[in-house]
Amino acid sequence: MSMEEKRGKFCINDNMDVLIEILKRLDDRSLGVAACVCRLWCALTRNDALWEHLCFRHLSPPPPDGVRTVVVALGGYRRLYMVCVKPVLSRLRQGKLIRMGTRHEVELSLSLFCVDYYERLLLGGRIGGADSPSSLMFLCKAVNV
Amino acid sequence: MKRDRDRGNTEVAAAGGSSTRKLKMWEEQPQPDAGMDELFAVLGYKVKSTDMADVAEKLEQLEMAMGTTTEDGVSLLSTDTVHYNPSDLSGWVDSMLSEFNPTQIGISGHESSPCSSNLIYDDDLRAIPGGAIFSNYDNKRMKLQQPSPAAVPTAVLVDSQEPGVRLVHTLMACAEAVQHNNMKLANALVKHVGVLAVSQIGAMRKVATYFAEALARKIYKIYPNDNSLESSYSDALQMHFYESGPYLKFAHFTANQAILEAFSGASKVHVIDFSLKQGMQWPALMQALALRPGGPPSFKLTGIGPPQPDNSDALQEVGWKLARLADTIGVEFEFKGYVANSLADLDVGIFDISPSNDESIAVNSVFELHRLMARPGGIERVLNLIKSLNPEIVTIVEQEANHNGVVFLDRFNEALHYYSTMFDSLETSGLTRPDSQDSLMTEVYLGRQICNVVACEGVERVERHETLAQWRVRMGSAGFDPVHLGSNAFKQASMLLALFGGGDGFRVEENDGCLMLGWHTRPLIATSAWRLRRV
Repeated sequence: MSMEEKRGKFCINDNMDVLIEILKRLDDRSLGVAACVCRLWCALTRNDALWEHLCFRHLSPPPPDGVRTVVVALGGYRRLYMVCVKPVLSRLRQGKLIRMGTRHEVELSLSLFCVDYYERLLLGGRIGGADSPSSLMFLCKAVNV
Repeated sequence: MKRDRDRGNTEVAAAGGSSTRKLKMWEEQPQPDAGMDELFAVLGYKVKSTDMADVAEKLEQLEMAMGTTTEDGVSLLSTDTVHYNPSDLSGWVDSMLSEFNPTQIGISGHESSPCSSNLIYDDDLRAIPGGAIFSNYDNKRMKLQQPSPAAVPTAVLVDSQEPGVRLVHTLMACAEAVQHNNMKLANALVKHVGVLAVSQIGAMRKVATYFAEALARKIYKIYPNDNSLESSYSDALQMHFYESGPYLKFAHFTANQAILEAFSGASKVHVIDFSLKQGMQWPALMQALALRPGGPPSFKLTGIGPPQPDNSDALQEVGWKLARLADTIGVEFEFKGYVANSLADLDVGIFDISPSNDESIAVNSVFELHRLMARPGGIERVLNLIKSLNPEIVTIVEQEANHNGVVFLDRFNEALHYYSTMFDSLETSGLTRPDSQDSLMTEVYLGRQICNVVACEGVERVERHETLAQWRVRMGSAGFDPVHLGSNAFKQASMLLALFGGGDGFRVEENDGCLMLGWHTRPLIATSAWRLRRV
């Protein structure tokens, strides 16, 4: 390839830091779509740090360090987002006039996440994958009015 | 993303407009049928002229019923009825309907809305806006307690377009018969309830069925004898109840918030749980302690539970699982379990508390204290026990209803109102499918309570719920001062309820420092916090 051609071809996969910066700004559904692009992207989007960023990017000041240990131990940020944060935020934002500070929403999500972990303990003693049943799974369904 | 947004928009529209949309549905329904009878419409009672033949037939049946007796030799109308001249049907119908009007106006509020509960052909309670149900019951109840003779049995048979109301009336009439020890009449009425209940659907049917069964047990003196099954199975039932609605979650989260605030700054904490069951309350508290600024304290949990019929150590299992969780999130944890038939059997010595221990103690009871009132002196003993533990805080969650009245009829009416609201909230909030195991087991759970309140007496009757006001008096005279549950608890509870669908049916109410979970206008559960009075 000539120098001109090489200069013209910018491959995002060669610039992981840029790629990650872009992925950090996406929402959950777009991350899901991105995961379907190629194996590299799939691996990147499963990185828990991305999901941590997604959970807490609007939180100011950012949560203390202890939170990460707890969340990782209870199943990771991706599960936290899927099972608790996303439903909590989507339901509360659409819902009536409850405009809490984001800190309260996060606290609630963490508590529910811990309950979710305990329920999985009670049910099987094995902390399985994402399809373990729990009383919070209803949160993932569309609101039934 | 687009799909989410669309779904979001419809959900917003749906949530906001669901009740009005349902009202519109009922408004629209009679319109396509042009045969509305103007005469009745003037009275506020919409009847299709095509139905007039039906109505006439029913009137004839009523005429016959008024003249005949049932096989028991007891005419259903022989007591407390005002008989009109049956040959003058139109005049009689007019007087019946004009008698009905005040009730209708009471139900539907100030405007004569065409959608008052009387006109709903579908008996599903879901279609009735929340307020209508309760003013409905209140009006009926108040009518019952007045000595007006025409109120009860006449209304039982008259209007075929509102069998739900008829069902409630029959239940109340039956309870009144039991109150007056008129067992023959009660027997006839309870059978009638059975017949009526079958034609219902949804929450009304379930409530009626459970109450009818409880009344039947009371009449025939067949008391439920399930003490052996009690503990192993009641834990499982309560677990399903936990999953089926926000009730227990509300209880746990509000109590935990009070405990968390009382423990602030302590390095050793000890919670004594009178109602351990599966330990569902404690993970959230442990998580909050783990993330406490300054690090978690060491956490000791003492759980009290009933003996298991198969002698298995259920308490230890729960303790082990909680320990696993504690280990995962990095909280130092210790568990002790004690088996006791009744809280009144406990002695302060077993708790291994000494002032040198330097631990902050919290006592927690969810739906347990009311059971102590079945035996004299029970509650006093336990309150003294709590005092001798010298806790920082005592959290109590109880059902918000007076099911411990001396007069059976009052208890019955109160329970009917309370459990109807409970069943309605379960059905309308639609968290679980009606045929799911959680739904069914929750119904059994509530059904057992109903049976206990209505059919049992003496030490057998353990579901002796009392209202927050009554608990306040009791705790105050025992030497406790209230602790206000703060705004954090309120916010958390509100968010929790916002998650649970049901439109905005569930409400958190603050009542002088205590929090109550209610369904529309009716409070169901109350959380309160207490501490020892500082002399």
